[in-house]
Amino acid sequence: MAVAQENARAEGRSFSPFWTIARRDSLAGFLFIAPQLVGIIAFVLIPLGLVFWYSLHEWNVLANTFTYTGGQNYRMLIEDESLLEVLGATAIFSAGLVILNMSLALLLAVLLNQKLAGIAIFRTLFFSPVVVSLVAWTIVWGFLLQKNGGINGMLLMLGIEGPNWLREETTAMISVIVVQVFKNVGLNMILFLAALQGVPKELYEAARIDGAPAFKQFRRITLPLISPTILLTSIITIVGSLQVFAQIAVLTQGGPGLSTTVLVYYLYQQAFQFHFFGYGSTLSILLFAIVAILTFAQWQMRKRIVFYES
Amino acid sequence: MADVTLSDIRKSYGALKTIHGVNLDIRDGEFVVLVGPSGCGKSTLLRMIAGLETITDGTLKIGDRRVNDLDPKDRDIAMVFQSYALYPHMTVATNMGFSLEHRGANKAEINERVNWAAGILGLTNLLDRYPRQLSGGQRQRVAMGRAIVRNPQVFLFDEPLSNLDAKLRVVMRGEIKALHRRLKTTTIYVTHDQVEAMTMADRIVVLNGGRVEQIGAPLDLYDRPANQFVAGFIGSPSMNFLTGTITEQGFQTSDVVLPLPASKGTVMGQAIVYGIRPEHFRLNDHPGRASVSAEIVLIEPMGSETQVTMRLGDTQVIGVFRERISGTTGDIINISLDIDAIHLFSGDGAIRLN
Amino acid sequence: MKAELSPRTRTALYGLMCVLLIPFVFPTWWMVTSSIKPISDIFAFPPQLIPQSYDWTTYSKVFELQPFVRQYWNSAYIAALVTVGTMVVSSMAGYAFARIRFPYANTIFMIVLLGLLIPSEVTIVPLFQMFLKAGMVNTHWPLILVPIFGAPSVFATFVMRQFFVTLPAELEEAARVDGLGRFKIFAKIALPLAKPALASVAIFTFLHSWNLFLEPIVFLSSAEMFTLPQALTQYTDAYGGPMWNIQLAAATLTALPVLIVFVIAQKQFVEGLAHTGLKG
Ligand SMILES: Nc1ncnc2c1ncn2[C@@H]1O[C@H](COP(=O)(O)OP(=O)(O)OP(=O)(O)O)[C@@H](O)[C@H]1O
Ligand SMILES: [Mg+2]
Repeated sequence: MAVAQENARAEGRSFSPFWTIARRDSLAGFLFIAPQLVGIIAFVLIPLGLVFWYSLHEWNVLANTFTYTGGQNYRMLIEDESLLEVLGATAIFSAGLVILNMSLALLLAVLLNQKLAGIAIFRTLFFSPVVVSLVAWTIVWGFLLQKNGGINGMLLMLGIEGPNWLREETTAMISVIVVQVFKNVGLNMILFLAALQGVPKELYEAARIDGAPAFKQFRRITLPLISPTILLTSIITIVGSLQVFAQIAVLTQGGPGLSTTVLVYYLYQQAFQFHFFGYGSTLSILLFAIVAILTFAQWQMRKRIVFYES
Repeated sequence: MADVTLSDIRKSYGALKTIHGVNLDIRDGEFVVLVGPSGCGKSTLLRMIAGLETITDGTLKIGDRRVNDLDPKDRDIAMVFQSYALYPHMTVATNMGFSLEHRGANKAEINERVNWAAGILGLTNLLDRYPRQLSGGQRQRVAMGRAIVRNPQVFLFDEPLSNLDAKLRVVMRGEIKALHRRLKTTTIYVTHDQVEAMTMADRIVVLNGGRVEQIGAPLDLYDRPANQFVAGFIGSPSMNFLTGTITEQGFQTSDVVLPLPASKGTVMGQAIVYGIRPEHFRLNDHPGRASVSAEIVLIEPMGSETQVTMRLGDTQVIGVFRERISGTTGDIINISLDIDAIHLFSGDGAIRLN
Repeated sequence: MKAELSPRTRTALYGLMCVLLIPFVFPTWWMVTSSIKPISDIFAFPPQLIPQSYDWTTYSKVFELQPFVRQYWNSAYIAALVTVGTMVVSSMAGYAFARIRFPYANTIFMIVLLGLLIPSEVTIVPLFQMFLKAGMVNTHWPLILVPIFGAPSVFATFVMRQFFVTLPAELEEAARVDGLGRFKIFAKIALPLAKPALASVAIFTFLHSWNLFLEPIVFLSSAEMFTLPQALTQYTDAYGGPMWNIQLAAATLTALPVLIVFVIAQKQFVEGLAHTGLKG
């Protein structure tokens, strides 16, 4: 194209080249997004189509048969009694995780937002689990939560006999939630802290002059102003909670019973341990639907709950 | 250096037309100022000349070359932006030499040009600094330095002084003018400040709503505005306008009659707009001169002059007087009008009648 | 809210934060100290907060029982490749979505954002089948290609786009007048200014790859190919129970280097993450 221009210039000719500025920009745009777009097509869209296709089939790996069965896998989904338990466990896990994570993150962010000497050290320490290898973190918690492990040892010193945390239904669920919260709450804490620091100081000063007490300032000024961050982090946290796999696999393997078998873990078992690829795909579709509905619902809430947007 | 010729230049964003056919011949070495109210299309026009905005229709020539479809880099222009657009991650020297670097100049050449430009603009001591370490005026100079190092055919400025405080603006105005006298590069300068336009331009182009209202030397525009818009836009405080009709006695607005200059374009009974600049009122201390009485609304003494808001008939007008005036709201003063400085426009303000 | 705190409030706040810190800091401490205790001491009562005696042979067992060096290398090079690759892919795509006008840009952006809605867990079954057909099971390709080009990089693209949107348009226009083409504007102007956003993308991506667990256990089957998270869980006794001291030693080796880098560069870490444009 440069050549064509040079020619035109040399001849003083007036012409419209094919490669106008707009066309060249379009080409550049497509080239820039090409790797990402091709990747999304190859690794997201096609697999998504395939997963739906598989979900309509009975796939026997050992006999190497792949037969169309229509909605049979979906009927199975409805009749699968284990799935009900799995969804229950998933709901408890996600709800517990999000509530605990968000409130702890907010509390920590408010604490770290105080003017105290050495606050940066606290910030670093609260954040540190985020960078600890996930499985390493899970292993050490598994170790601490053993019947004769560190936590029960310390409880015993206080005269309390602790439960076998990972082998009883209620405590197993609490354990996996707590382990995950402490691992990742630092991320949300930092995002909240950044949001808190973005609230203009004049607003607090104005509120003080108006005589609003501290808790009221928090409720009427801080919360509304950081609500966009709260919403966004809650979406990320919920979607993230539905993807938790390593912790379950290492700590409880979904047990005892199905009490900590969340959907992703169940999907993994069905597809890769029992080789029910058809049914596993159906579960994938279910997971996708749940993620999509939750995201959409929270996006809709944006209009009502978020009082303020920058 | 080169001429710049715009023939019937148009711009639309989809269905929205913003520039409606602009014709303009800019001579080699000329300093042309585009002026007009906000949103009139000054920046759009300048950016089309720069190649940052596509030209929807018409022909743009720089020198003899049609450049409509050329990239900015092939048009041999340089531009100074309102925000200066200095590269924050490069030193002053790198900022200034950046374009040469990309035109395949060697190091020695770049150094020489950068030092030359820095010398002219008084930036020699600042070459190793980063933009964030400079004051507003210094940044402005760097932006100009970046434009001049390349010795382009045309300089384009888009409101380059609007981020400076009032004092600095006056200083930089002078520097840009001096630079132009020295380099004699064709310059197109956009501003919405008519004082900048008046003081800097060889010729002013007044734009309004995507159309050219008038082109001319600053004082021509001031003395003989082609229509009511230009008359009102050029000059501060702006020209006073009264609406009324032509009668036997003169110009009649409500119950006041004002003197009419000789004019071929008017007929008896015609509805016209009558314009007079604030400095063309006189306090009537010469008995015998045609005079009218006006009611004082507000007196604003400025020291060197006095600005008086008064009611003439049922129109409020502003007068600027050399004298100091005492009086309060409601007082009546006698004033006379400088009859040679009266502007008559058609009733819709579109054409000048005298 | 920001008034000076009284000494008593101050003490109370410090006390509260120290108590809250326990579950964040103690596990790491416990991991490191337990890994150097002799096996007989690791479940001792009362718990030994500070080791009474040391047994370093645990660490040599880490390397004897599995090709741990190899596994360490696997994790490290995969994470490095994925990090660099994601930075390239997402900064380019993010730049184009923010800055270049091209047909269907918005539609394509929406399609790409779908990647945020579709966690890789949803597509793991077909991805496994696809890589099986391509003969890439039990290779590292799935762990490299999918994160760089697929759903995991979408978040990075989003972060980069949010950053580039805030870049003043006049800077790029100045560069165009200065004679730069699209690619050079990207490389010489936009990218150098995007360092904070790139840093946060790098941190996120590295941690994501370093922690990947489901994908390795689905795709990899031989110890030589394993990555660290997967390898850690393989130190088990004849009954499948974990060999705690060895697992803890291997976990310490996995966690400590990243932790040290974090402590050194913690300002960039924390501030980088706060700058991801997630603020709204
Ligand atoms: N990208 C665009 N899409 C649609 N309309 C636009 C676009 N850019 C500018 N316009 C419109 O074109 C007209 C001219 O804009 P322009 O920026 O040239 O004004 P201006 O004279 O420079 O004003 P100002 O003094 O405020 O800078 C305006 O009405 C503006 O709304
Ligand atoms: Mg403008």
